[in-house]
Amino acid sequence: MDPEPPVLRPTDLIRTAADVIMSGRYRRLPVVGADGRYEGMFGVNCLLGMVLPRAIMMEEGENLAHIPRDTLSDLHRRFQQFEDQPITVCNMEEAVIVHPDTPLIQTLFTLYKCRANLPVVDPDSGRLEGLISYWDVGAAILAAEV
Amino acid sequence: MVTHSAEAAQVVLGLDATWFAGTLFVLTYLLIMLERINRAIIALLAAGLMILGGVLTQEAAIRGIDFNTIGLLTGMMIIIAITKESGIFQYLAIWSAKKVKADPWGVLVMLVMVTAVLSALLDNVTTVLLIAPVTLLITEQLRVSAYPYLFAEIFASNIGGTATLIGDPPNIMIGSAVGLSFNDFLFNLGPVVALILPVTLIPIYLIWGRGLKTTNENRQRVMDIPEAEAITDKRLLWQSLLVLALVVTGFVLAHQIDKQPATIAMSGAALLLLLHNLPHNITEQAHKVHKTYGEVEWITIFFFIGLFIVVYGVESTGLLEALAHQVLDLTGGDPTVTAISIIWVSAIASAIVDNIPFVATMIPLIESMGPALGGTDQLIPLWWSLALGSCLGGNGSLIGASANLIVAGFAERAGQPIRFLPFMLMAFPLMLLSIVVASLYVYLRYL
Repeated sequence: MDPEPPVLRPTDLIRTAADVIMSGRYRRLPVVGADGRYEGMFGVNCLLGMVLPRAIMMEEGENLAHIPRDTLSDLHRRFQQFEDQPITVCNMEEAVIVHPDTPLIQTLFTLYKCRANLPVVDPDSGRLEGLISYWDVGAAILAAEV
Repeated sequence: MVTHSAEAAQVVLGLDATWFAGTLFVLTYLLIMLERINRAIIALLAAGLMILGGVLTQEAAIRGIDFNTIGLLTGMMIIIAITKESGIFQYLAIWSAKKVKADPWGVLVMLVMVTAVLSALLDNVTTVLLIAPVTLLITEQLRVSAYPYLFAEIFASNIGGTATLIGDPPNIMIGSAVGLSFNDFLFNLGPVVALILPVTLIPIYLIWGRGLKTTNENRQRVMDIPEAEAITDKRLLWQSLLVLALVVTGFVLAHQIDKQPATIAMSGAALLLLLHNLPHNITEQAHKVHKTYGEVEWITIFFFIGLFIVVYGVESTGLLEALAHQVLDLTGGDPTVTAISIIWVSAIASAIVDNIPFVATMIPLIESMGPALGGTDQLIPLWWSLALGSCLGGNGSLIGASANLIVAGFAERAGQPIRFLPFMLMAFPLMLLSIVVASLYVYLRYL
């Protein structure tokens, strides 16, 4: 577990979040309030959802996904419409979380099912304690004595 | 007060059946309006209490369920759940926009017409679910605000649905209860709907239409949209169109072939399920059938079932008949006053509350007026009044109809929210305008 993962604040702008995510190649990052309380995850999927045509993001709209002929410039222009807004305009993913005392196998199984890094949240205070990634798990397993 | 004594068991604690049923009915209504609990839960709970409380026996409760309505709703839901996979509705929307060379106002008018026609044949919610994304696609290409288009489509879905037996649940309920056919609705309500739609567009044009401008380059972007690519399954398209044609023909000829709408709709659904699944192995069929049935709005279906039982329970105590006499006292027993009153009360009520429980209550109430007004034939204007008022009234506010809320949700996610009060400030007067037209029509044609 990484006890000091990079985090985002709810007041961070989309532009800022995009810079952090793109530079670190993160799939998603935890969003933490000023008091350290975990508020959700914001990731590259949110960014991608913002630049895609609204129509295909709607219910029954996915059948239209093959129709728009938007260019990369169109997508960038769409991004510019959002980049100065806080990240809270995007529905932050309601990620599955684990607690510091969640058993090892349950944690690994959760990681297996959700296919993304796992936030570790203290159940009492709601504070983010860290982030568990596949790389942490892999390294720990391979380092364990047999 | 006439009671259906055969329907009652024995009310708990020796309570008065009318008091018990009436109180339960009012509570049901209030809870539905509050929207804190899912309405299907409320309706089923209330229905259960009607039986457990002794107002109805189980057999009587089942008799109170209008299975023709249930079957018609379910059958059409299945047909549409399959048909929409073909992409035909999206094709129609794009095709219609290109027909007017992507002129912004022309596109609005065409999308309104497509929405209205589809709403006459499908349920309004499905119509807007299918048309709204295409609308957003087109308006984004045109670089115009989607708000006027979505606003107009809300109106179009409720107006269009008024025209036919199957266009709106109140019409299904009225048609089923009274024995009015698909043709009856089309010939009686079609003309006034065809009039109300353009009348409604006039204020919309005056408010927004003149400001809808775009560049030729943006219009070309819409013209470049390949509408044929919206059709994702040609085989399914033809199967669906065939079944839809058979079903609509069945509705038109229902009287001649002596078959109820539910039979026609469910038969069509079964045929389309067969055609759609036959090429697949049994495992894949199970998956596809499961998916199709998953698209049926079971919440709506069970809401109807519960509601029918609740209203039947109230009716069985004679309370609605007593209310009908009160209404006739207020209107002096005058058919004209009664009809016009029904259209206006229905419209305003439907703008505020769910029109389904309102219509479910009004049906037995109007039926009870028959003897006092000179027989069931004299009730015809009242039925059309109820249909017009309850369907068109849904335009009065965002909560007036489910389709309105669906479109508002789309608009919110598209970054152009339709807020309750601004919508109502514009929509309520427009709705009243449509009711004025409808009232004149009912008066001139039937009274």
